[in-house]
Amino acid sequence: MTQVNVQYYAIFREQAGASDESVETGATTAGELYAELCDRHNFSLPAAALRAVVNEEFADWDTPISDGDRVVFIPPVAGG
Amino acid sequence: MNRFELSAEPLDTGKLKNGLRHARAGGFASFEGWVRNHNEGRDVGRLEYEAFAAVAEKEGTRIVTEAIERFGVTAAHCVHRVGDLRIGDLAVWVGVSAEHRGEAFVACRYIIDQIKARVPIWKKEHYSDGVTGWVNCERVSGPEPPQPALPATTDGLYVRQIALKEVGENGQRLLSEARVLVVGAGGLGSPALMYLAAAGVGHIGICEGDTLEASNLHRQVLYRRSQVGQSKAHIAAQQLRELNPDTEITVIDVSLDADNAESLFNQHDLVLDCSDNLKLKFLLNAAALRTSTPVVFASVYQYEGQLHVFDPRTGAPCLRCVWPREPNVAPTCNEAGVLGPVPGVFGSLQAMEALKQLLSLPGRLSGELLMLDLLSFRSTKISASRLADCEICSRTPDQIELPRPGEFEIALDMDLAEVDPGLRNDYVVIDIREQDEVSARPLTTLPHRHIAMSTFSLDAPPIEPDQPYLLCCASGTRSRSLAIELRQRGFAHVYSQTGGVDHLDHGHSRGGD
Ligand SMILES: [Zn+2]
Repeated sequence: MTQVNVQYYAIFREQAGASDESVETGATTAGELYAELCDRHNFSLPAAALRAVVNEEFADWDTPISDGDRVVFIPPVAGG
Repeated sequence: MNRFELSAEPLDTGKLKNGLRHARAGGFASFEGWVRNHNEGRDVGRLEYEAFAAVAEKEGTRIVTEAIERFGVTAAHCVHRVGDLRIGDLAVWVGVSAEHRGEAFVACRYIIDQIKARVPIWKKEHYSDGVTGWVNCERVSGPEPPQPALPATTDGLYVRQIALKEVGENGQRLLSEARVLVVGAGGLGSPALMYLAAAGVGHIGICEGDTLEASNLHRQVLYRRSQVGQSKAHIAAQQLRELNPDTEITVIDVSLDADNAESLFNQHDLVLDCSDNLKLKFLLNAAALRTSTPVVFASVYQYEGQLHVFDPRTGAPCLRCVWPREPNVAPTCNEAGVLGPVPGVFGSLQAMEALKQLLSLPGRLSGELLMLDLLSFRSTKISASRLADCEICSRTPDQIELPRPGEFEIALDMDLAEVDPGLRNDYVVIDIREQDEVSARPLTTLPHRHIAMSTFSLDAPPIEPDQPYLLCCASGTRSRSLAIELRQRGFAHVYSQTGGVDHLDHGHSRGGD
């Protein structure tokens, strides 16, 4: 199991009901982690509509995650 | 005859004057602006005028009409040349006929002054040393515009920013020569425009096609309640001219689109994206690359926002590198709600980045995405890298096509109740809610399939390419994002029920077939 810190912005913050959480996961990549969290929090956005960020860098969905990583899923926003 | 016209042909002043003759008129006054052979110490050989025609004609007509109404003259007309002109050519003609000479002179003066200040016409000077330069028509022919009544001492205007050693007199001069286009004069645009004008930016273009609504006022602090219903671009311009009469303001009161973007970008050094529309942001991104113009992007959502600068001249990643697949799911302030100071903070950050760019200050954002949550004050600066196969910035400027609205966003949301009853049965309704949601609130009034979104395979969608489908969820958000995914996979006839299952049930039973 891997322990990561996940931050939520915008619609994810609303749907997860928190702005961050520590997650213990069996996922090995950013994509697997997102799928797991989708199940847990009923996220409505398809992965293709957002970007994953691992340790402050934009990351592909197959980027591996390891203990202590900071992961953020960024939804696009358009308000002005 | 239009009261204001652009003409690519030389003007016939005799004919123009005869057009204003009237038995009631006891006098006629006219003004002619001519091309002169020097400007600000340089010898000018010839010049070209370029107009943003649609807006120029609208604004020019408005000015002439204002003059007729305000001064009660009989008739007035103004024609401005566009295209190549030589020294001595007639560049602009204004004529006014009136009962008495007094109002004829005043109206004529008013028209030419306002035309120069408000109508988007630009002049490209060809100097005798072979160099060319764009200047606003303000500085061409005719008398200087009336100096606004300035307070006795304007010397102290910018002292607090000139005092910064990175700014100084030289920085102030750079600002006074800068031309900045602000796209969107709403929650982000309000503070951005005010700070840019207050800082002494020489020229600001305001591109905004909307009128002011009451629901804008909690965040769009440039406006007043008494102005609801008026054109935002015009009232913004009026406020900024009061704030800083030295700043030249151009009003572009139409939306930026693929037809006008390139010309507008070419007239400015820097663009601020203060829009609330993702399609428009991607259009600005493409126009930035096409014209080598940097753009400062910002977007807000409820209590937080994002800031991103794309400067095509530096090889930094573009908006498309950050969002390789155009997301169609971003909610706007109208949908998601927002607290007023949130766009206030981000619009101010845009003005700050703009000044950093114009003054070449250190620490300019370059490709990073800054995210800031104003509830917790969490901020994250995320570095992006350029995508080798980015469909925008991996191309050369002349290969870039500015995106036009495709047919797929024209109708994505649909309300079955509004479909002709004879056609409703053509749609296969799919309820994509999860099983527990369906059990809690079943859809009873019409035949449908149930495929939960969590089990809906995008690799092998369980639908037919030519069949029309209407997806339905609880609120219309999930069905919309799934419909987008399916459209992108070639299923062209997939729609999303607006308002979700409640709307569908209610609307359908009300439809009564
Ligand atoms: Zn790119």
